Order: sequence, then structure tokens, then C-alpha cells
Amino acid sequence: MLAVANPDADLEGTLRDWRRFRRQKRTADIHWIDALYQAYTTAIVGLVIVVFASGAVGDNPLSASQTAGLLAHGPGWLGGLAAFAIALGLRSGSRGGPLALERTEVRHVLLAPVDRTTALRAPAVRQLRFLTFVGIVVGAIAGNLATNRLDGGRVAWIATGALAGLVLVALCVGSALLAGGTRLPRGVASLVGVVLIGLVIADGTGVIGFSATSTFGDLVLWPLRVDLAGLVPVVVAGVALLVGMRLLGRLSLEAAERRSTLVGQLRFAATLQDVRTVIVLRRQLAMELPRLRPWVRLAVNGTGRWPVFVRGLRGLMRWPAARVARLVLLAAVIGLCLRGIWSGTTPLVIVAGMALFIAGLDSVEPLAQEVDHPSRRDATPLEAGEIHLRHVPVAVLTQLAVAAIALAVAMVPGRAQLPLEAGAVAFVPLALGGLGGALVSVLASAPSVGGNWSLAPPEAQGMRLAFRTVWPPAIAILGVTPVFFAHRAQEQGLAPIAGGVRIVPLVILVFGLICGWVRVRADIGIWWRSQMEMAHAKP
Amino acid sequence: MPSPDPTPALLVAEQASKTYADLVALAPLDLQISAGTMVALVGHNGSGKSTFLRLASGLLELTDGEITINGAPAGSSDARAALSFLPDEPVLYDDLSVQEHLAYVSALHGVHATRDDFNELVERVGLAARADDLPARFSRGLRQKTSIALALARPFDLLMVDEPFVGLDAPGKDALLGIFDELHGHGRAIVVATHDAGFVERVGRCIALRDGEVVHDGPATPAEVLRLVGS
Repeated sequence: MLAVANPDADLEGTLRDWRRFRRQKRTADIHWIDALYQAYTTAIVGLVIVVFASGAVGDNPLSASQTAGLLAHGPGWLGGLAAFAIALGLRSGSRGGPLALERTEVRHVLLAPVDRTTALRAPAVRQLRFLTFVGIVVGAIAGNLATNRLDGGRVAWIATGALAGLVLVALCVGSALLAGGTRLPRGVASLVGVVLIGLVIADGTGVIGFSATSTFGDLVLWPLRVDLAGLVPVVVAGVALLVGMRLLGRLSLEAAERRSTLVGQLRFAATLQDVRTVIVLRRQLAMELPRLRPWVRLAVNGTGRWPVFVRGLRGLMRWPAARVARLVLLAAVIGLCLRGIWSGTTPLVIVAGMALFIAGLDSVEPLAQEVDHPSRRDATPLEAGEIHLRHVPVAVLTQLAVAAIALAVAMVPGRAQLPLEAGAVAFVPLALGGLGGALVSVLASAPSVGGNWSLAPPEAQGMRLAFRTVWPPAIAILGVTPVFFAHRAQEQGLAPIAGGVRIVPLVILVFGLICGWVRVRADIGIWWRSQMEMAHAKP
Repeated sequence: MPSPDPTPALLVAEQASKTYADLVALAPLDLQISAGTMVALVGHNGSGKSTFLRLASGLLELTDGEITINGAPAGSSDARAALSFLPDEPVLYDDLSVQEHLAYVSALHGVHATRDDFNELVERVGLAARADDLPARFSRGLRQKTSIALALARPFDLLMVDEPFVGLDAPGKDALLGIFDELHGHGRAIVVATHDAGFVERVGRCIALRDGEVVHDGPATPAEVLRLVGS
């Protein structure tokens, strides 16, 4: 009954052997047809992305003056990628990342007297190997695309792109390991990230002459100009990784266990494309909790008017500072994208639309909670659609605030400043587009495997899935198009307002239709099911 | 009000506390648990029982203070070797059978056990017929029995158990109580966090927590427990 430990036992060797045993068991369970199918779908998706990106980048070679400008200002801005990777890594590490361990590994391996650094090395290397592969492939593709517009040999661009991708991954993972191993407080990690990104902006806009990460930009531009300063990020990334790996054993078990539970659910939700669940789990992972004390305490009045609206406001007043900061940041990104669109970089319409969509998902939080807890909602004498619709005004107010900040950033005097009339035309569509997409995403929820669609052929199911995935962000992107059309009008010598205003009624119409759908979607569902039952009942 | 104990302390908590922002999960706690003692840890939901067990096992990090196991800080390699933690929720591998679980966990603790050893263990917890099955497909009760077997398959001086009777049938509960008594007889220290007021009759020491603070430390009757922590 009482087990006795052998003091000379090689625990780490035992762990290695058992992991190999488990790996063999898992590998034996994988059918080669499944593996081939996965490779096939990955290749198809990769091809689509490459073709789309090729079209988005365009193929007009840069002029000599444009290339000179790129060499002068490019390193500063491209350093932003390294700054972002480091900030992301520090943020992840300060929250117990970057490792996503199985919960069983935390409970059985990390609670055993096995050396934790040794125990964690294998999962860390596995994770790093996958991310490195992704970084190299994405970098090589980006390098290949760069040859469309830039001088320098194709091989040089592809090789440099692959190296830059590798360095970015190493910087991100290395920073995360360092932050996790040194138990860097979350506030400090966020501060360092903000400072790095702030320095990039200051460097890019010419306020300062050099930023901490601009050497990464020198590396990226090697095919145009070889600058040995580009070796700095390579060395820094390598050192960060090596030191971080040595600190693996100091990982916080508390954070590791919290991550182990949430990351597994997060992956599952992401696989199902269940955006709402991904958001909720991501908030839990980041420990983003509502404030105990609201920003502004609203008077409690049980018989007050507009209870749903007031409930939304109360929720808004308890938003954590991190969520407010995220929305402001997203608004700033949208503003910068609008400037980019105004200067002629059309693909930024998609980036701005995606940022608007993500902001919208935060704005519809009170409504989303009704969807999360249908039994509580259905216990009220109001119809579900009615309650959902009454949540929309607070979300509109939030999105208007996001749009206002975005336009403020876009209209700050400087290069590619958005004119006032274009901003005025875009204000409402920006707010409604992002919100419309978020409403559709939250209410359409995750794809169901039940119902009448379960018997549909794979091609039809696939089309439906693709539509459900693409439609919500597409609505948000529609909200950005007034700026695009205003810019096109200006290029054609017309007043920007004339171009932008044409699309505004369409955005408002789409939003109105979405609100109508929010109100009657349950009725439509009931009607549809009854029709299907009648059809099945017929002899 | 820590109770005086002549035997050397196996677990020592000094001003051990855990807070989450404004929430106090465990107020500064001073506590000693000696070898060979069986302790009941009682308290209502959210009183800090599980928090204390997780802090001692190293799964949670202290906000302040210190907990040592056999003189080693909680969570350190020596402390992990001395403490076996049986959580309230079984955490088991999907791809390992009960026997494979036992072989894996005992190997990770340097135990050279034979199949007969495992057979004896699974027999004791009532899993003899399911030893080669995957616990991933078990009911809650059978998973709990697997978890119990895992906690016992490894060496330990101190066994900390969180709500062990949840999901167990009557024979399973009796078997577990028998195992506790046997381990206690072999000089192992056992701490059982439970809502089962009747369990305090089997132990000489009952620690009651309320809102993260110790409100009683010493012998207690079930009636006293109900009075201390509420029904």
C-alpha cells in the first residue's frame, strides 16, 4: 500500500520515456487519410492567402525617390514589428505564457519531484518549432511579395523574409520566456511594450532619430542595403531564447494551470469559429474582470424607465481599464489605417474593418451576455428579440465614441491627414459598420452541427460556414468604405464628400436591416422550423 | 489558536495568505500539522479550504507569508516529494488506462512498482475490473477513484485531500475511510477538506475556516462544526 521511492531513480529519463510512449500511441491513432486531408486543406488555404496578398500588394515598382524614402523611414516603422512581437511576448509571459501545457502535465508532472526546467523543455521546444516554421513560411512569402515592388533579387528577399520571420518569433517567444521566468509584473510588461511601440511611432514620425527596434528594420531591408546593425535583433533574439529556456523551471504553476484550462477551451472554440467564446475565454486568460467600483455609479432605481438601456450603461461603467485601453488602441489603429487609405494604401480598408469589428465585439457585451444566458433572458416577459434590440443603443454610443477617437487620430495635422469633410461623412458609417458586424457575429453564434443542415452535403456546409465567417467582418469593412470612396473621388478631381456620401445610405440601410433581423430572427427561426416540419409531415 | 503538538511539525504555515485584487481568499494563517495526525478542514463554500490545500501543494502562489513541508518551501522539489495532493476534480490523461496512469505517476516519483502492486491498489479503491480501461470514459465516481489511486501510488509523508467523498458511492466512501485509517496508522499525516460534518468524529483535530480565517482549531463534534461554519 505504501509506495517507496528509489533515491537513485532517473526521473527525467523516465519522463522522456513516457512521453515517447504517449507520442507513439497518439501517432498510431492518426489515420494517414486524415493527415493527408489536413495537409491538403492547409495547402489550399495557404494558396488562397498568398494569391490574395499578392493582389493586395500590387505590382508597381517603387520609384528611386520612393525607395530612398523607404530606406530613410522604413527601418523605424518596420521596427514596429519587432516592438509588437516583444510587447506581445512580454504580455504573454507576464500572464504565465507562452507555454500552453496540458492540465494533466501541470498536475502530474510539475507536481512530481522532477526537475521542472527539464520537464518543460520538450513542450517549449515543440511550441517554438511550430511557431518558427510559421514565422519562416510567412516571412518567406512576404519576402517574395516584396520583390513585386522592390529592387533586389528574389532569393535575397525570400531569404531575408524568412530570417526576419524567424527573428520575430524568437523575439516574441524569448521575451515571453524571460518575462515568465523572471515573474515580470503585468503592469511592467505592459509599460515596456507601450514604451517600445511609442518609440517606434516617435522614430517613424521623425520626432527621434533612432528607436530600440529600428535595427530589425535594417535587417528586413538587407536586400536593398546591407547594414550590419541588422545583426543586432538576431543576436538579441538568440540570447533571449537561450536565457528564457534556462528560466523555464521558474514558471508560475498557478498561471500555468489557469492557462492550461483556458487555452484548451480557447483552441476548441477557435476551431469551431465561435468568436464569442474565444472572446470570453481570452478575457479570462487575461484576468480581465469587471471593476468592483464602477467608473460612475448610476443611481439604482428598480422601477426606472429603459431598464435594458440602463443595464447596458451599468455594464459599461464597470469596464476594466484594460478594455477601455484596448478600445482606444483599436480606435487609434483605425485612425492610422484611415490615414493610410487616404494616402492610397487600399488594403488598409480590410485592416480598419477588422479593427472596427473587434471593437464592435466589445461594444455589444451586454447583448452578448443575454445570448450567453438565454434562460435568464427568457425568464422575462419580453421577447428575446425585443431585449436584444433594446441593447443596441448603448452599443451604438460606444461605437460612436470609437469612431470619434479614430477620426480624431486620422485628422491630426500631418502626412496623409484625413480632411474634415471626409471624416464627417465617415463618422456614422464607421460606428454602424463595426457594430453591425458584431451583432451578426454574436447572434449568429457558433455553427451548429444539429438541425436541418447536418444532412447537407459538405460543399453546402462549407459554403455556409465560409459565409458565416466572412459576413460579419465584411459588414464592418463596409463601414470603412466611405473613406475609400471619398479618396477615389478626390483622385478623380471631385469633392471627397461627393464620393463618400454615396455609400452612407447603403451602410445605414444594412445596419437597419440587421436591427430588424435582431428583432425578428427568433420568429423567422420558428416559422422556418414549422415549414420544415410541415414539409416532412407531407406523405 | 494553533493547538500545541509535541511531535515535529510536517507542515508549517506562517502568516500564509492569498488575495486576488480586493478579494481575500485566505487571511494570514498560522498553522502546524505534525506527522501522524489526521486533520479535518471544514468551512462553507469560499471559506479558503481549497485555497489552503492548493497553496500547500504549490499549485497556487502565496501572496504573503510562508508554507513549508518537511522544512522545504511549498512547491519546491523536496516539498513535492513529501506531499501528495488529491484535488476535488480528477485531472486525468485521455490516452492512458488506469494501470498506465499508475505506472506513469509512480515512475515520476521514482517508485519501482510491479503490476501486482497496482492490482492491489486498484482492488482497494474498487477499480479492479476497470484497470485496463481509459478513465476518460469513466463516470465522475470512477474518475474520482482513479484519482485516489494515483494519490496513493506515490510516496508521501503528508496527504492533502480536497472533497474526496464527492461522487463516491457508499462502498467507495467506506473504502477510502479505511485507507485513511490505515495510512494514519502508518504514521502519515492526512488533511481532508470536506463538507461532511460527520467526518470530524474520526479525527482528533478539526480546523474550521470562515471567510479565509481560522475560527476553530482543535477537537470538534459535528454539531460544533455546523455551528462554526453554518449548515
